[in-house]
Amino acid sequence: MDLLLDISKIDMVFPTPKGDFTALKEVDLKIHKGEFISLIGHSGCGKSTVLNVVAGLYQATKGGVLLNNKYVTEPGPERAVVFQNHSLLPWLTAYQNVELAVKQVFKKTMNSREMKEWIEHNLKLVHMDHAIHKRPDEISGGMKQRVGIARALAMQPEVLLMDEPFGALDALTRAHMQDSLMEIQEELNNTVIMITHDVDEAVLLSDRIVMMTNGPAATVGEILDVNLPRPRDRISLAQDAEYNRLRSAVLTFLYEKQRKVETISSREKVASSSTQKVDVA
Amino acid sequence: MTTLINKFISLEQGSSLLLELKRLLMTRLQAIVLPTVGVACFLIIWSLAANAIDTSLGKFPGPKAVGTQIVNLYQEHVAEREKEAAFYQRQEVRNAKRLAKDPSYQPKIRAYTGKETFIDQIGTSLVTVLSGFIVAAIIAIPLGIAVGLSKALNTAINPIIQIFKPVSPLAWLPLVTMVVSAVYVSPEPLLAKSFVNSMITVTLCCIWPMVINTSVGVAAINQDWVNVSRVLRLPSLVHVQKIVLPASIPAIFTGMRLSLGIAWMVLIAAEMLAQNPGLGKFVWDEFQNGSSQSLSRIMTAVFVIGFIGFLLDRGMLQLQRILSWDKDSAKR
Amino acid sequence: MLNLTLTKSKHFCRRIIGQALIAGMCISSSLVTLHANAEELGYPEKEELKFGFIKLTDMAPIAIAYEKGFFEDEGLYVTIEAQANWKVLLDGVIDGRLDGAHMLAGQPIAATIGYGTKAEIITPFSMDLNGNGITVSNEIWQQMKVNIPKRPDGKPVHPIKADALKPVVEKYSASGKPFNMGMVFPVSTHNYELRYWLAAGGIHPGFYAPHKGDTSGQIDAQALLSVTPPPQMPATLEAGTIYGYCVGEPWNQQAVFKGIGVPVVTDYEIWKDNPEKVFGITKAFSEKYPNTTIRLTRALIRAAKWLDENNNANRPEAVKILSQSNYVGADYDVIANSMTGTFEYEKGDKRDVPDFNVFFRYNATYPYYSDAIWYLTQMRRWGQISEDKPDTWYKEVANKVYRPDIYMKAAQSLVDEKLMAASDFAELANEDGFRNPQTHFIDNIVYDGTKPNEYINKFSIGLKAGDKI
Repeated sequence: MDLLLDISKIDMVFPTPKGDFTALKEVDLKIHKGEFISLIGHSGCGKSTVLNVVAGLYQATKGGVLLNNKYVTEPGPERAVVFQNHSLLPWLTAYQNVELAVKQVFKKTMNSREMKEWIEHNLKLVHMDHAIHKRPDEISGGMKQRVGIARALAMQPEVLLMDEPFGALDALTRAHMQDSLMEIQEELNNTVIMITHDVDEAVLLSDRIVMMTNGPAATVGEILDVNLPRPRDRISLAQDAEYNRLRSAVLTFLYEKQRKVETISSREKVASSSTQKVDVA
Repeated sequence: MTTLINKFISLEQGSSLLLELKRLLMTRLQAIVLPTVGVACFLIIWSLAANAIDTSLGKFPGPKAVGTQIVNLYQEHVAEREKEAAFYQRQEVRNAKRLAKDPSYQPKIRAYTGKETFIDQIGTSLVTVLSGFIVAAIIAIPLGIAVGLSKALNTAINPIIQIFKPVSPLAWLPLVTMVVSAVYVSPEPLLAKSFVNSMITVTLCCIWPMVINTSVGVAAINQDWVNVSRVLRLPSLVHVQKIVLPASIPAIFTGMRLSLGIAWMVLIAAEMLAQNPGLGKFVWDEFQNGSSQSLSRIMTAVFVIGFIGFLLDRGMLQLQRILSWDKDSAKR
Repeated sequence: MLNLTLTKSKHFCRRIIGQALIAGMCISSSLVTLHANAEELGYPEKEELKFGFIKLTDMAPIAIAYEKGFFEDEGLYVTIEAQANWKVLLDGVIDGRLDGAHMLAGQPIAATIGYGTKAEIITPFSMDLNGNGITVSNEIWQQMKVNIPKRPDGKPVHPIKADALKPVVEKYSASGKPFNMGMVFPVSTHNYELRYWLAAGGIHPGFYAPHKGDTSGQIDAQALLSVTPPPQMPATLEAGTIYGYCVGEPWNQQAVFKGIGVPVVTDYEIWKDNPEKVFGITKAFSEKYPNTTIRLTRALIRAAKWLDENNNANRPEAVKILSQSNYVGADYDVIANSMTGTFEYEKGDKRDVPDFNVFFRYNATYPYYSDAIWYLTQMRRWGQISEDKPDTWYKEVANKVYRPDIYMKAAQSLVDEKLMAASDFAELANEDGFRNPQTHFIDNIVYDGTKPNEYINKFSIGLKAGDKI
């Protein structure tokens, strides 16, 4: 497979009033076209920082990101981002939110009719065609996130960057969204980097799971290949030995090798989460 | 047994329906009755207090005196309009006469020269406050956006804003008057100088709250939305137009409502001080007249000023409801 | 247009004599220039005008000229606007916001000689005679009353002189309390009248020294005079800031109605038939718009006549107009008190003063040079003019400011167009602009306008020739 994205030995240092804080140290990762990568790790390990550097929203202190052998220096639509909090513009309808992106990206290549079709196509893809003229405050959290994904997909990105896209959703909605995402991925075969806390989500969706060590100076700890056949079905996988092996490998990494000294507040968070899922708080 | 239970349930349901109805009625009644009681109490206390206060211009006006004046002022307005019609008629006759004598004469219709009635003065004040307000918005909103977007500009301008913000625009009034009369020279001015003076005074007092609120709103804009714009590589102008402006609309409206409220108060004072046409001049003229009706006319004006101020605020709120996506911020 | 050629003038004389009209109207004096009626008065160059006034009954000619359509008859569309105070009004005329205004006689004169704001203001029309009064607070009145001789019916003998006030002022200054009084403007008639009355009673009202930057007018003063806008006089008196004031109507009668003060003397008693307000315009206006100037003068003359005609028969109607809120705005009864030939002093002591407000009789509208000079003598007397000036200077200033030539053109054209009768101006035919020596002053000092320096020297209190502060 072609090498699409080369994250090459990046360091990220943030200046703070108490002196420099090294968030990332020599993070090195090569991603091929069409790969679905999950970044998993404890809170504060710098997963989001990696994503932001790839997006171009941050500039790495050292090292750099190459997309198709070109240095990434600023954000751009070829690296579309799906933000954790949907980040839809609340004054625009679902359609207008997508339109804003389409108009900007395809202003030279599409006429207005083609644009309209493209916007509607993408909203249909995420099953939002029934509510295209609704504003964000009129639709549910899951629907908002669908529109956010449609907006990102509509940019036809080379890499789709997803920052805990389903983190704020309830378990049932989250499962729906994961299934949708897999369907879309089947159809479009996008290259995706997704940050997640959720071990099941990571195993279910990914081709590779990148597990990060704890910060400060976080870096790539282990990389786990997920060779489960696609399409994947969550029910049947629950009984699958390979699935469970992968799942426990991730858990072992997180809870034995990278055990985090939890603060009281974060322990409480875990305790209060009533789902049976293994959430890494 | 079951029928009994059913009966009981239906009875229960019926009574709960009744209770529900009663509760609804109570809240409705409260919404109507309580303000009515409040107003009635106020009227009683007012008329009692008014009766007890003797001024050199007679008793302090009570509700009845104000009521009479409302009718009087309206009748004066109607009478003045009749005089106006007669004025134009006379003028036409005069023009026709002159035209007969001098065929080369270009007849001209001159504006009515009579006095401004109370209702005219209300109109003048409203036009003045709205023009000053709009001028201020045209200046303050772009400036506020620029200040909110640029930290450097904010640091540079902030001291100026902080110093001018607490200055009563009335302190500016003499300076404005002198500058306007020096700079605004035109043989046939489109706008009267007095109007320009009042308008600039209103503008001066509207600008600061609007600049501050806009810039705070712009600076506090959700970082995700900014990131969306960055990922899309929106050009700066489109960024301002599509992201910054709509995002800061709630803050801009807060500033606008605040400044319109201040502007209305300041305008009345400025009109009193500078004898510029408007409700303030009406109040001052009546005070100067010192007739036995003066106090009740002033009292009427006080109520009208308050009522219009209230309407202006409601109007802005309505406008905000229409224009702003953030319905929560437009609830009060 | 007004072509004042000699031949036309002669032709005009012949015609008038031929028609056996008043021959006296045709005087080839340099002062009273009559124009030929061969060409009628042209249309006004400027038609839309704005006139200012202060809320006083003597603004009546302007209100009447508007309400009775005299302005419109001249093709003038006039807006009338009340002004906050005399300074605002004068500035308005100078900067062109106002085309003309009801002014204190002293204002055009002071402006022309550069006392205060320097500007060339002229007056073609004198608005009225008398009309002012001096009011003191109830507290002062009680103390004055004991010093005033009584008539058999128990009412005080008039005129009340400041002699009665003198012990009160002395008592106040002995106890260290400044005796404050209000007048309406430093160059107002009221200032000079109040000073005249006080000085005649031996109370020093204080000197001005503008060359030293002192324009308070309180140097050596026993009574301290300060400026208050007319409509605020009663309120200021009520607040105790001042003990008395000199102001035009209706603000003296207002004090009686409100029961806060007692008018003690009218200016009619201080100086019988003294000239009061004038109508002021800038010289530039009169030169740029000569027809408009004459036409507005015509309208005002007609209004003044209407106010006085048939023995004040129109006064009740005039009072009704003035009581409108856009004019004087005070109650009908308050204005009527002085406008209809009576004046109420102490509550209940209403006396006939038929000439309290004179708008047309006794040539009230004609701008006499001697009137201008009287104001100049008072400015000199109290130091507003800090140096001696020769008699010729007084005449030059009067010539610049007072413009009987415009007045006579207006009068003549009114006669020509039969809007007024020649008899209305009969006495003015031979007028040289100087009244005969006037005798009716409260201190019996005779005023001869042709000899200002001699006049100044007659006063016991005040600057005399050669004096300097």
